Amino acid sequence: MVIKKIKTVYDVICPFCGTLCDDLEVDIENNKVIEVRNGCQIGVKKFFSSNPSEHRYEKPLIRKDGELKEATWDEAIDKAAEILTKAKRPLLYGFSSTECEAQSKGVELAELLGGILDNTASVCHGPTLLAKQDVGAPSSTLGEFKNRADLVVFWGCNPVHAHPRHLGRYSEFVRGYFRVDGRNDRYIVVIDPRNTHTAQIADLYVKVNPNEDYELLNAIRAVVRGVELDATEVSGVPMEQIKELADKLKNCKYGVIFFGMGLTQSLAHHRNIDAAICLTRELNDHTKFLIIPMRGHYNVAGANQVFAWNTGYAYSIDFSRGYPRYNPGEFSAVEVLLKDQVDASLIVASDPASNFPAASVRQMFKHPLIVIDPHESPTTVFADIVLPAAIAGIEAEGTAYRMDNVPLRLRKVKEAPGESLTDKKILEKLIEKIKEKIGE
Amino acid sequence: MSMNNLILLTGRTINQGVALEGGKTTMENVRAAAICAFDKDDFKKLDTLVGTPVKVITDFGEVIVYSTISEEGPHPGIIFIPMGPWANQVVNPDSQSSGTPTFKGMRAKVEVMKSGKVLNAVELIKSLKEA
Amino acid sequence: MSEIKLKLKNKINLPLEAESITPDNFAGKTIEDIKNLPVYLGKEQGTIGDYFIVSGKSGEKNELKIIIEGDASNVKRIGEKMTGGEIIINSDVGMHVGNHMRGGKITVNGNADDWAGAMLKGGELEITGDAGNYVGAAYRGYWQGMTNGIIKVKGKVGVESMLWAKGSAPSKKFPTLICGSAGSFLGIHNHGATIIVEGDVDRCAGADQVRGIIVIKGKVPKILPSFKKIGEVKEIELFNGDKITGKFIEYSGDHSVTKNHSVVDKKTGEISKSANGRLYIAA
Repeated sequence: MVIKKIKTVYDVICPFCGTLCDDLEVDIENNKVIEVRNGCQIGVKKFFSSNPSEHRYEKPLIRKDGELKEATWDEAIDKAAEILTKAKRPLLYGFSSTECEAQSKGVELAELLGGILDNTASVCHGPTLLAKQDVGAPSSTLGEFKNRADLVVFWGCNPVHAHPRHLGRYSEFVRGYFRVDGRNDRYIVVIDPRNTHTAQIADLYVKVNPNEDYELLNAIRAVVRGVELDATEVSGVPMEQIKELADKLKNCKYGVIFFGMGLTQSLAHHRNIDAAICLTRELNDHTKFLIIPMRGHYNVAGANQVFAWNTGYAYSIDFSRGYPRYNPGEFSAVEVLLKDQVDASLIVASDPASNFPAASVRQMFKHPLIVIDPHESPTTVFADIVLPAAIAGIEAEGTAYRMDNVPLRLRKVKEAPGESLTDKKILEKLIEKIKEKIGE
Repeated sequence: MSMNNLILLTGRTINQGVALEGGKTTMENVRAAAICAFDKDDFKKLDTLVGTPVKVITDFGEVIVYSTISEEGPHPGIIFIPMGPWANQVVNPDSQSSGTPTFKGMRAKVEVMKSGKVLNAVELIKSLKEA
Repeated sequence: MSEIKLKLKNKINLPLEAESITPDNFAGKTIEDIKNLPVYLGKEQGTIGDYFIVSGKSGEKNELKIIIEGDASNVKRIGEKMTGGEIIINSDVGMHVGNHMRGGKITVNGNADDWAGAMLKGGELEITGDAGNYVGAAYRGYWQGMTNGIIKVKGKVGVESMLWAKGSAPSKKFPTLICGSAGSFLGIHNHGATIIVEGDVDRCAGADQVRGIIVIKGKVPKILPSFKKIGEVKEIELFNGDKITGKFIEYSGDHSVTKNHSVVDKKTGEISKSANGRLYIAA
């Protein structure tokens, strides 16, 4: 008779998106994930992807004669440290899919090397941070929105696809303390150039022309202030609809704007967010209104927190002058790669080859590339050194910050396969070896 | 057949999210992210079958992907490619000094391909490495 | 007039930070001293002598002219915080040229990269080619950027030029930009700046403006919805008293901003001119 030992772990935090769901249940048998309950399709897939497979790295790899060959940790760390210390302007990028203590080591390493430190906010919600730095941001936590919001606006985001359980846990279908009737106690507005799946289940869909969100925000702000506008239509939206929308916004009990890449990645970038924040502030003359970004990666908010409390800045930081300096556009990963101002890259928990514009990826491949990642990806396939990592939130404990900046403790539900080490441990080894090389 | 004066948007889809967690070098990823979704009526003008490879061309590059009909329309004049290495061949790398590239809203034109292959992620990125 | 010439030895591939190149720093120094002033390439500290051939004779700050030859397109922060004297750059120049300048003059005979004249407090910056984004702008997180001085760009300025510029008529501070054409969000968040565009602008000119004056002699694709048309004028009076003649349509704005008052004064019924920003577009 064989007794099967299945371990069930409860209250597991999902390490995929910024919704950071905290109610997953994971069954482990023989150190393999065999079932995941309560997660969305993507979260569940992430847990299963941690099982050993041909896509999972288990040993350090160094490129020799054009091919990635297995090596020892000592060899790989030594070679990586050699590359990084010799570089005049190394780039350290990624960090959003790992836990806070590892991110902290990233800061230490970047300072030691005098390089550029950046995280994925740079291509995602960086504009949100820029706007916050100019005009502030009235915000709150997801729990507050779930319990109080009777008017929810999704502007330039598509949670059905990008944050699948958000609508069910916090923003649309869930019953809240003051929203006991759940969906029926809420009025949902979606503003987007496409009639997305999120728009299709909303109460009001406003079709806005691509790249003209700023003008629409500008018009709504003025209408809310009681100004009679000259225009009959703005950004493809008729003035009547703009006035109706402004009325709805002013007359709700508690409103919230959730926004995403539709605003940050289109022309005007942070000025779209600036206008949305100013609209939110203006609405507080009439009712309670708040605004919050739909953060993409599960711990990009954490990377911003950790970088900020260590250096004063959340992303796009340069240490070359011996102290941290901040300037997106000058020290952003994509910009410095495009201009070929980097001579070595260390990529941690990220896949820029897939997610950066092609022209910058081309430049990244011209110089030595070291990658810390659990899985094969277009970035690792062309790396010079691959350091296999344990997956934070599955094989390593740590802290992650949700999209509303609430910190949650990630669990370790199983052991990492092969010789994988945690991101934190790998960065510590690099720091130690680099200190040795520069004679500290 | 070709179509001009389109606007290209890129972004997440749940299939692309599932596929990338399953291995970015897989066929699943190609089927999820190497696609271009057209508005239903726009697609009729292309006079071709769903799944035919199309070449998407912007001021910043070109890429061959499989054509599909959008479930998130109507959006005449707009085409959608999920985020990933295929979209990144044709997005605008310029950030207007904000640091964030302009991934959405490029002017695009589309040509139906009689021949031409949709590359998988590794082949696609390899062509960047060799450039 | 004393003159120092700096000729770049080679093309520079990584950005070189050269904030030590100012008349203030060169005044009264020997050529040897000047050659030993620090410059930074990535994390390496070098000296001016490592990268430039230095010749000429120094003198008193306000009489000193620095001439830079060779391709300076990757040299950043030239003229930073200078208070007098002159710099002439005979090529394109890197980011942050003339940032925080208080006095003196910089001429760029070429194009300038982003943040040219950022945080300007006085003096004059002239660019004969195009300039990048954020001309005369505030740096990240600052609510006040350019407060005085004048920037002239013959060609095009990029996006968000004159961001958070703050003028003050009582203190006789008139931060001014004169350019050939402009990218989007010209004068965004400015308070009392003066902007004159000889040609066309891109979208959202005057966004979030309070009390500024923007004059556009060319075309505008669309005016922001929050700007209200006042009427036609034949003459515009700038903050410093200068007048521009020609047929212009006058707009009041930006009325989406909390600080802006209503178009018409509630007590007198007259158009509130001094309270609100103005946008003038050639008719």
